[in-house]
Amino acid sequence: MKNKYIFGGVIAVVFLGMMIFLFTKSNIQYESDFVKVMSSDRTIKATGSWVKEKSYEVNKSERTFAFFMKDATGREMKVIYAGTIPNNFESAQSIVVTGQYKNGNFHAKDILTKCPSKYQDKQKAAANS
Amino acid sequence: MAGSILITLALAFSIFSMVMYFFTYRGAKNTLNIARMSYHAMAMFVIIASAFLMYLIITHQYQYEYVYSYSNDDLPFGFLLSTFWAGQQGSFMLWLLVTALIGVFLQSYTGKRDDLEPRVMMFFTLSTTFLLAMVSPLLKNPFAYIWAEPMFLETVKINPAYFNAPFMQNFMFNDPNSGQNFVKMSKDLYATLQGAGISVNQFIIHGKGLNPLLQNFWMQIHPPILFTGFAMTTVPFSFAMAALLKNDYKDWVRQSFPWILAGSGILGLGIMLGGYWAYGVLGWGGYWAWDPVENASLVPWLISLAAIHTMIVQRKTQAKGGIGKFVKTNLLLSILAYVMVLYSTFLTRSGVLGDASVHSFVDPGAIVYLFLIIFVGTFLLLGVGMIIYRWRYLESQIVEEENLLARELALFTATVTLGASALIVAVGTSAPIFKQAVETRFYNEMHVPLAIIIGLLNGFSFLLKWRHSSGEDILKKSKFSLIATGVFALLIILFGKVYDIMMILLSVSAAFAFFVNSEIAYKIFTGNKKMLGAYIAHIGFSLFLLGVVGSAAYSKQFEVDLTKGKPVKVLGHTLEFTGYNPIENNTKYEFNVSVKDGDGGGEARVIKPVMFISAFNNSLMREPDILEGFTKDFYVTPLSYEDGSNAENKPQGNAVTLMPNEKTSIEGAQLTYTDFIKPDMSVMMGGGNFQMGAKLTVTKNGKTETIEALMKKEEQGVTFVPVELKDADLRVELTKIDPTTKKAEFIVGKLSMPVITTKPSEVLAVNASTKPFISLVWIGVAIAVIGFFVSTLRRLKESWA
Repeated sequence: MKNKYIFGGVIAVVFLGMMIFLFTKSNIQYESDFVKVMSSDRTIKATGSWVKEKSYEVNKSERTFAFFMKDATGREMKVIYAGTIPNNFESAQSIVVTGQYKNGNFHAKDILTKCPSKYQDKQKAAANS
Repeated sequence: MAGSILITLALAFSIFSMVMYFFTYRGAKNTLNIARMSYHAMAMFVIIASAFLMYLIITHQYQYEYVYSYSNDDLPFGFLLSTFWAGQQGSFMLWLLVTALIGVFLQSYTGKRDDLEPRVMMFFTLSTTFLLAMVSPLLKNPFAYIWAEPMFLETVKINPAYFNAPFMQNFMFNDPNSGQNFVKMSKDLYATLQGAGISVNQFIIHGKGLNPLLQNFWMQIHPPILFTGFAMTTVPFSFAMAALLKNDYKDWVRQSFPWILAGSGILGLGIMLGGYWAYGVLGWGGYWAWDPVENASLVPWLISLAAIHTMIVQRKTQAKGGIGKFVKTNLLLSILAYVMVLYSTFLTRSGVLGDASVHSFVDPGAIVYLFLIIFVGTFLLLGVGMIIYRWRYLESQIVEEENLLARELALFTATVTLGASALIVAVGTSAPIFKQAVETRFYNEMHVPLAIIIGLLNGFSFLLKWRHSSGEDILKKSKFSLIATGVFALLIILFGKVYDIMMILLSVSAAFAFFVNSEIAYKIFTGNKKMLGAYIAHIGFSLFLLGVVGSAAYSKQFEVDLTKGKPVKVLGHTLEFTGYNPIENNTKYEFNVSVKDGDGGGEARVIKPVMFISAFNNSLMREPDILEGFTKDFYVTPLSYEDGSNAENKPQGNAVTLMPNEKTSIEGAQLTYTDFIKPDMSVMMGGGNFQMGAKLTVTKNGKTETIEALMKKEEQGVTFVPVELKDADLRVELTKIDPTTKKAEFIVGKLSMPVITTKPSEVLAVNASTKPFISLVWIGVAIAVIGFFVSTLRRLKESWA
C-alpha cells in the first residue's frame, strides 16, 4: 500500500520535473518592444508589423527572405528569414517572428502571419485617420 | 429577424426542458413528458434555424453580416456548405446542431433505462442551453444584420447603380494606405436606404468570399466530424454527473461506454482528417504541427482514451460486487473530457492565443470572452464540485487488491500515460495565456518516451490476465510476438538504417504491440468476432506509431530550383519542370513537374503543384502535390515561379522621395516637385480609369524643363510612364504616389547608362521532401477508427443490464 504511493509519487515527480525542465528550456517569450528584442540574446517571438514602404527582398542564392518590421512605437528592425516568403505575407495584419537578434539583424527561423478573417478594424482605423 | 426568433425560442425551450427534467428528477409526476416535448421542440427549432442559415447562405442574403463575411456569389454549392461553419458564429451553430441531434438519440436511449433520463438529460440540456445562449442575439448570433455594427465594405461589393445617389458621399471613405475606397455600413446608412426604398440586399450585391484555404473538400467534412466528436463528449459527462447525483456507480460505465467509444472514434477521425487537410492541401509538409487549434482538439481526445481504459477495469472489477475500481478516476476523466472541449473552445475563440496560432479567431469582444469563461467555469465547478461532494462515499468503496502482473494495473498505467500526454499538450497550449510559448520540440521530446511506454503497454497488457498472471504464462503467450519483434528490429537496423536508440525503442515497442494484437485478433477472428474491436483499434494505433516514426524522424527535404527543360536530381528522383497551365477559369496555375525514379530512366509521372494569387486576401497561395506510395510519399511544394519576364529592362538609377515643393540634387541636376497632378476623384471612387502624378522642373547645365511623371490606372492595371530628357541625359520614372499626403517616389537615372538585361529563364522553385511510411499514419488511423466502432457495437449490446 505504502509502496504503491512511493512508487507512483517518484514517477510523478520525475515526469513533472522533466516537463518543467523541457518547458523552461524550450520556452520562448513574446516581445512586442523591439528595444528589448534587440538587447536580448535569447530566442524570442517578436511581434509587430511589416514596414510596407520598405518592401521586402527575396535572396534566391542564399534562400533568405528579408524585410523590415516595426513595433507599436514605430521602431524598425531588419528581419532575415531562412526560407521563402510565407503565404499571406502581403496581407498579414501582424507578424510574429521567432528567432534571435544578432549583428544588427533579427534572424528568424519561423514566421507566422496573422490574417484575421475580419478586416474591419484595420479599415475603420484607416478611414478615421 | 426570423433566425434570431428561432434561436430565442429554442433557448427558451432548452431552459424549460432542463427545469422540467430537474423537477422530474426531484420526483414530480407528469413533468417528464413536458420535458421530453420541450427537448424535441428545442431540437426542432435548432434544425429549422440551421436550415434557415443554410438557405440565407445559398440565396446570398448579404444583409446578414455572417453571409456577407464568409461567402460570395461565385462559390459553388459545396463551398457554400463550408460557409456554414467557416466563421465563429456558424461553427457554434454547427456544434449546437450536432449536440441537439445527439440529444434526441440520447433521450430515447436513456428513456429506456430505468430512471436514467431525467438525471442525464438535465445536464445535457444545461449544455445545449449554454450553446444556444452563445448563438443568441446577445452574443455570437449568425443572424445578426450587417448594419448592427458599423462595418466597412469594399466599393466593389456595392451595386454600382447607387454610386451616384446623393446620400452616398456621407458614407464613402478612402484608405490612404491602400488607396482603396470603402462604404461604411451602419444603422445610419440602413435608415437612409430604407428611406430611399432600397433594400440592403439590392444595395450589397457581393459577399467578401471564403478564405481560399477553406475552399476544398476537406473543409466540407473535417469540421462536421470534429464537432460531432466534440458534441459526443457531452454524453459521458452527463452520465458521470447523473451517477454522482444519484450516488450510484454501478451502471453508469456500462451505459456510458458505447457513447464514449463512438465519440472517441469520431473525434479521432475528425482530428486526423484535419491532419490530412494540412498535409495534402495546405502544404504544411506534415500532418501535425502542434498548432494550438490542433492541440485543442487533441487534449479531450486523449482524456477520453484515458477514461476508456480505466472504465474497462471498473466494469470488470464490478463482477465481484461493489462499484469496482478506479471509479473516481473514471468520473473525473469523463467530466474533464468535456470541460477540456470547453476550455479548448475558450482558448481558440477568446482571442487569448492571439499571436500563437495560424488560425485562432480574432478577439470576439469582452462579453463573449466573459461568457466563455463562465461556460468553462460552470461545468468545471459542477463536475469537480460533485466529485468532492461524494468523495467520502467514494473513498469508502475502494477495493484493495494489488497485483503487479495484472491487466488492471497495466490498463491503469495506460490511463496515466495518456493523461500525462494530455497534460503536456494542455500545458504547452496554455502557455500563450501567460505570454509564453513553447517550441514544438517540447511536445516532441516529451512524447517520445511516453509513446514508447504506450507501445509496450499496448502489447503487454493483452498478455496479462485479469487479477493475476504468472510469468511463465506471459512468456508462453508472447513467444511469437517476441520472435517477430526481434526480426523486425534487425530489419529496421540493417535495412532501414535506423540507428537512433529512442527511435529503435519506439518502433520496436509499436511493432511488439502490432504482433501481440494481430496474433490475438487472428485467434478471435475464428471465434466471437464482436470481441475484435479493441484489437483492431490497437493494431491501428501501433501502425500509426510506426508511420509517425518513419515520416517524422526520417523525412528529408530539399529546396531546389527547376529551370524549364533541365532535369534535376533530388532525393532519389529526377525532376523536370515542363511548364504550367491555367486551371479553374484561369484563376489558378498548375506547374507540371515530371518525376522519374533514380537517374531518369523509367516511366515519368507528372505531379502538378498549384500556385495562385487569391483575390480574397491578395496573397500568393501554394498547394502541394504528392506522389503517394506505400513505403514513402514524395512531396513537392511550389515556392515561387519566375516566368522569364525578369528579362525586361529595369530602370537604373537612384530612388528619390519628395514632398511637393521639395528640391533635390541628383545626377548633376536640380529636381523640384512643383505640383501634384490630381486624379478625378469620382472616377477613382467608382474604380474607373484615372491618372495622377507629379509635375517636376528639372534644371541641368542652366537649362530648365518642366515634366509630368504619371501613374496611369487602366483595365490592365497600373502603369508608370517614364520621362526621358535627352538634353539633360536623364530618365525620371514615378514609382509610387500617395494621393492624400502627395508624397511621391521616383527613380532617377542617366539615360546613357546601359540598361541591364537579365537572361530570360523560366524557373520554378520547389521544396521537395520524402515522407517514409506516412501511408501507415492514415492506414493506422482508419483501422483504429474501425476498431472503435466495432467496440461500440459490442458495448451497446452490453449496455443493457
